Amino acid sequence: MEGLVREQGREIGRPVEAIENYKVVIKDVNGWFGAKQALKNINLNIKEKTVAAFIGPSGCGKTTLIRCLNRMHEMTPGARVEGQVLVDGEDIYDKSIDPVVVKRRVGMVFQKPNPFPTMSIFDNVAAGLKLNGIKDKKLISEVVEEGLKGAALWDEVKNELDKPGMSLSGGQQQRLCIARALAMQPEVLLMDEPTSALDPIASSKIEELVRSLKEHVTIIIVTHNMQQAARISDYTAFMYLGEMIEYGPTNQIFKSPNKELTERYISGIFG
Amino acid sequence: MARLLDIGLDRVRNLIMDMANLARESVNAALESYEKGTMLRSQIFEYSEKLRVLQLEVADFATELIARYQPVARDLRFIQSCLDIAYGFSRFGRYAYDIADVLETIGPIPDCDKSSVVEMAKTVKDMITLSVESLKKLDKDTSQKLYMMDDSVDALYRSYLRLILTPSKTNYSYSEVRCFISALLILRYLERISDHACYISDCVHYIVTADSSPRR
Amino acid sequence: MDGEKDWGENHRTLVHDQMKKKYRSRIIIDKLVSIFAIVCLIAAIVPLGSILLEVIKNGAGVLSFEFLTSPQGSIISGNGGIGPAIQGTIIVVGLASLIATPVGVLAGIYLSEFAGIGLFPSAVRFLNDMLTGLPSIVIGIVGYVTIVIAIGSFSVWAGALALSIIMIPIVVRVTEETLKIVPHSIREGGYALGISKARITMSIVLTTAKSGVLTGIVLGIARIAGETAPLIMTILGTSLFFSSLNGPVDALPLRIWRFASLPYEHSHAFGWGAALILILMVLGLNVGLRMLAYRKGFEIRTEA
Repeated sequence: MEGLVREQGREIGRPVEAIENYKVVIKDVNGWFGAKQALKNINLNIKEKTVAAFIGPSGCGKTTLIRCLNRMHEMTPGARVEGQVLVDGEDIYDKSIDPVVVKRRVGMVFQKPNPFPTMSIFDNVAAGLKLNGIKDKKLISEVVEEGLKGAALWDEVKNELDKPGMSLSGGQQQRLCIARALAMQPEVLLMDEPTSALDPIASSKIEELVRSLKEHVTIIIVTHNMQQAARISDYTAFMYLGEMIEYGPTNQIFKSPNKELTERYISGIFG
Repeated sequence: MARLLDIGLDRVRNLIMDMANLARESVNAALESYEKGTMLRSQIFEYSEKLRVLQLEVADFATELIARYQPVARDLRFIQSCLDIAYGFSRFGRYAYDIADVLETIGPIPDCDKSSVVEMAKTVKDMITLSVESLKKLDKDTSQKLYMMDDSVDALYRSYLRLILTPSKTNYSYSEVRCFISALLILRYLERISDHACYISDCVHYIVTADSSPRR
Repeated sequence: MDGEKDWGENHRTLVHDQMKKKYRSRIIIDKLVSIFAIVCLIAAIVPLGSILLEVIKNGAGVLSFEFLTSPQGSIISGNGGIGPAIQGTIIVVGLASLIATPVGVLAGIYLSEFAGIGLFPSAVRFLNDMLTGLPSIVIGIVGYVTIVIAIGSFSVWAGALALSIIMIPIVVRVTEETLKIVPHSIREGGYALGISKARITMSIVLTTAKSGVLTGIVLGIARIAGETAPLIMTILGTSLFFSSLNGPVDALPLRIWRFASLPYEHSHAFGWGAALILILMVLGLNVGLRMLAYRKGFEIRTEA
């Protein structure tokens, strides 16, 4: 958050630099649940290896939006997406792209930690690899170790990799899920309120983790905790009723936002 | 339903306004001492002390608000600025005290030509009033006016300096020297007060626009 | 501000006083309900316990190695045993489970994971529930008509088929319900890793629900092990050991029924013995499978 310059061109989402420098480009995305429109004309450019936070009151569409970025939204019965989402210039909604493959490039961590109950710690982290056909045991154990280290969990579990995944505490389980996602070597990591279900200490460990992870992965995080967004993100997007109201460097959004609605939300006047 | 932070903000606002009134009173008292020769030193000293205590209270309380409520945007800018504004008002009190101190040291000077000081005093008093008003109304445009007045104060100070450095006779009496010294010292303090009044309106501008000093 | 103060004071005392008054009667009602619950529990257990005791009392005396292994001797003489019946039960029930388990589990998986709320899945569920209520004698007749008449003789196939028809709906129901209990978050975790739905279902969801599915299978087996009516029409029963899958075979429920129908004292005793064996086999199966599941680390409950 240090030394970020205010972006010129106050229009929301218009790129200041060439599109090629952005890891994720969201273009004219609209989303529906059946007849109800949950996302209206979202346009957003996310830079590589930064942390972008989506904030907004309940029902504003931030979770829906993030689930459009790895094609999970359309898995809900009746759900529909229109528009383009470019990852490194490639539209993930293109007809030729397999949605399953998209999810390997764009990983996701959920609000409630969801380790696979019947698997050990090791197997949990390896699950994505093994169930996708990788058989090289040496490779798997290297990737598992790397994933657990990346999730700051290795030291705590390295001698207990065979213990069931569910035997860990809540905070550790969430880090396990992060390790599992990292093992897939994603380029983008989506985090949907990753610390909502955790106690403050576990939450702060995850926050530290996010700051260190961004050197390797582009991170997009949905949070209803504004202070968390202020702490860990480089860019913040404020959404309201399905629309992107404002997007900019976190520094600027929290010190002097352009839109009054943004200011009212972050000051706690509504929402 | 007011936010928890609003209750705190109201309290800070009240403290600042109390400081504003105290500051204005003490500067007025100091200038009155000069013009009319009344002995108000102990009263001015009391004001100055009160202002110092209030400034510490504002600093403490502003820090508490930031730690507790993590304010953002305008609220944060307001609390930040209150720290500077409180300091500004405590400075008024300090300069008023310094003026009274000068008067006590120099002693009675009923025959001096007090016109320069009186003229600057009027401008400075207006500036104090204006800056407090701008704070009350959060009016960001007062700065421009105050800058012009500050410029005139600076000009007045320089012209007085030039005046007394240009000798009109060869010998000055002891009492004349006392007049020059007292007036000069007081003019300097007034000039500082004027600067701080400008800083205060700069703070107001920052609260409203998030831009720091727009000036020169 | 005054109005708020009144609210607190007036209502607080009123509410708390009223609640106090009910205290004594509440304790008494509490105790009465507890006693009633215990009485009901005993009423439920007593018949079960007394049946078990009767069977053990009457049947234990007959048990011997000879009883368990030899075929039926002459009806009059009173020797022999239920060897063929035990063997037959194992074969027919085993075969029926082998048919019913994959069909039932896969159908349950389909209904839970791949179907939705369409016309076809609803019809399947409805028919499934109806099947569970079908009288077993009717199923026996179906087996008779389709296989016995077609092949030309009473046979193991017919019996296994009939029993599997009884077992399948149970397995389908339990499998579907158990799979539905698996939290959706686990599936989402799998999807987010880019794993295909089929893989997720088999390797993650099913594994998680394994003990519940196993319970369903055990329930099904226990049910069909004791069914008599369908066996009458399909395997006929015989005093000989198993010879071929296309021929008749004996089974414990049938044997018990036959023993009970004879007027001889020793036949009745044999009947009790056979009943005891049947109960022990089903119990043993239940316990055995659970211990197997436990040793492999699955929880007995479906969800940790």
